[in-house]
Amino acid sequence: MTELGERVAVLRDEVLDVVAGGREDAPGEAIFEAIVRTLSAGLDTALGLDLTLHDAVSRRLAWGDTEQAILDDADRVFERLARAAQRALRDADEEMLVLEAAADVVCSTARILALSALGRASRDRAATLREELAQRRLREALDEQARNLRRLEDEVAQSDFE
Amino acid sequence: MSNLVVQGYGDSHVGAVRDTNEDALIVDPKWGLYAVLDGMGGASAGDIAATKARDVVHEYVRARRSTLAPRQLLDAAINAASAAVHGEAQRRRDRRGMGTTVVACLIDGRRATIAHVGDSRAYLLRDGRLHRLTNDHTIVAELVARGAIAADEADRHAYKNVLSRNLGAKATAAVDLNEVELQAGDRLLLCSDGLYGYAASQALHQLMGAPDQAADVVRDLIDAALRGGGGDNVTAIVIDAGTQAMPRATAILRTSGAGAWWARRDRVLHAARAHGIHRSPLCAVLPPDDAIALVAGNFADAIYHDLEKSASVNVWTFAENLAVGWLGQGGAWAPLRELLDGLGRAADAVVAELRGEDVGLAGLIEAALARAMVTAETAVGGVLAQQLRTVEAELVRHAAERAKRDAEITSRFTDQPTVPFMRAAQPTDAPGPEVQHVLDGARRRALGRPAATNDRELFMRAIEHAHRVATAATDADATVAARELFDVRALDEAGVTPLYDALDAARAAHVDAVRAVPGGVGGKLAALRRAAGAYQRLSSTIAALVVESVAPTAEQLREAAAATAALRAQVTKNERKVASLERKFATIIDDDLPAGMRFDLGLDRKRAEPPPVPRRRPSKETLR
Repeated sequence: MTELGERVAVLRDEVLDVVAGGREDAPGEAIFEAIVRTLSAGLDTALGLDLTLHDAVSRRLAWGDTEQAILDDADRVFERLARAAQRALRDADEEMLVLEAAADVVCSTARILALSALGRASRDRAATLREELAQRRLREALDEQARNLRRLEDEVAQSDFE
Repeated sequence: MSNLVVQGYGDSHVGAVRDTNEDALIVDPKWGLYAVLDGMGGASAGDIAATKARDVVHEYVRARRSTLAPRQLLDAAINAASAAVHGEAQRRRDRRGMGTTVVACLIDGRRATIAHVGDSRAYLLRDGRLHRLTNDHTIVAELVARGAIAADEADRHAYKNVLSRNLGAKATAAVDLNEVELQAGDRLLLCSDGLYGYAASQALHQLMGAPDQAADVVRDLIDAALRGGGGDNVTAIVIDAGTQAMPRATAILRTSGAGAWWARRDRVLHAARAHGIHRSPLCAVLPPDDAIALVAGNFADAIYHDLEKSASVNVWTFAENLAVGWLGQGGAWAPLRELLDGLGRAADAVVAELRGEDVGLAGLIEAALARAMVTAETAVGGVLAQQLRTVEAELVRHAAERAKRDAEITSRFTDQPTVPFMRAAQPTDAPGPEVQHVLDGARRRALGRPAATNDRELFMRAIEHAHRVATAATDADATVAARELFDVRALDEAGVTPLYDALDAARAAHVDAVRAVPGGVGGKLAALRRAAGAYQRLSSTIAALVVESVAPTAEQLREAAAATAALRAQVTKNERKVASLERKFATIIDDDLPAGMRFDLGLDRKRAEPPPVPRRRPSKETLR
């Protein structure tokens, strides 16, 4: 980890608004860690290729968190980190790097979430289509049943041997 | 111990706003009585109350000066005045509620007895330090004294001007008394709130410390209050105990020093231009000549007047006005500091020139300039401190309002879906001129850069929208800009990915452009903060827009699944019905067919299924 990455990492509790040593899975944890990773890599990574961030976002979605909740967390981490860096870092160039990295990560998160929502919508649309096909088959079966019922009722009615 | 020679002078001014002067004063060196009274009450009643109280106090002291000790005399005189004003207020309906404050000083030999009721004040200047001798009788001051509110809340309190005691509210008054043993060189000030409320305390200190005659000091004090707004009547009495010999150096500075400086005023302006004062961000909106004339000219004039008076009040006022104007519109501290340093260097250049002619005089002016620059920095520091207090109070208020609003929203809309691009606008601060300058430059540079994406038109639109969000004063601009940028777009990966590609490319170009714009680091940093925040908000808002837009597909799936389930249930129900009818029909056939034919019809299995079908022949009615 670079020196700047280390100095930003110590802002974790302040940025995530948790007590030191407290929650390990605080909302925004994955976003903050991705920012520290970006800083540690010296901003040289290709945008959107942080697979750990992809995994973390997917995991939260799988646990039932909404996209909007994760977006809110990312926004909060950006705002709190910007404030914390302004207070904690003395060198303007370093603060600029932190802002740049934070913007990178938050924008990547937004992109991941938008594409994830689109993917989910696409799956939902396919599932809806399957449901509609099933409904068509069921309606055909219902028609067939109605015909059988009418026939049976007629036959039972005619079988009066009194 | 010998008595001191005491000289006092007082004056009153109606102020810059009011039509009538409701202040009154007593300056009576013969009896050693000095007093300031500040009347209150509508329809000129304040004027009457102050005048009446002044006359009663003056007459009372003259009549009993030789028979009562100073403390008892002042206490009794002020109580007599209170009774007189109260009686007058009771007799005349239109004078009900009138009253007055009073601060009085009775000098007996070396002893000064100070009595006061209300918020008129007495100060003592001793050994260069200004001490306040009275505590205001206001509701707020009493709350502070009891610890009910903090001292720094007092200035913002709604009741800061409401008196807890005055003359005239009752027939008697509770008078606060104290005594001071005067020393040679002491200077007393009695004044109404129109003075200390409108002249800065530092200005009072500076002017009281000037080695001038009392009359000149009074004139300068009233002038300072009028320049501070003059929103109330202004009254001041300055009493000098003993004579102060003016130091020789001071006398030289006041005459030769001030004259030499004034003679080189144009040289100061020239040196200021050489030091680039006109290029300061503070002068960004002015043509160079106007900037030099306004900033350096006012600085040179302030130095001249302060040299002439051996004070620093003019430099203080100059620096304070500069700081209030610049910092008040969101300007950064660094350019202001650079401007003051530039002015100081310009002044040093003039002193260096003077040193060739008169080394002694140059040394005196150099020392006076050093004091003036320290005063200027102190004035700027005071403005910064005031801004911090204001920001802190604003933050506290904003946090309380936000908590209240959040609580209301939570209680009203729990579990209700929200539409993010229709959120209420949150106000944000508009950028200061320096930051705006950097952002404008960065926008121009970013637009001129090659687009690292296939869609250059979208790249440029992203830069324009981000610039708009970065310079906007409300959060709503981000949502509007995001919607405009999203435009009409297919809700699939092929539609949204180019938008995010353009945003990423625009952000990289924009951030590089902010770094490349010439200017101070502070301005660039603030601009980058806003630019990065703009892209963050645009990206998040677009994502929220996508999420909200695709939300109906999940709902459609839920509805379709529910419809399928309902159909499936109907099919199952019909199947049971068909099976039931078939069983009944089979029973009928089974009973009527001869043995051996049942297998051929395939009905044996159905007969074996539980529950067992009753083995009796059904009647027609039963079948129906």
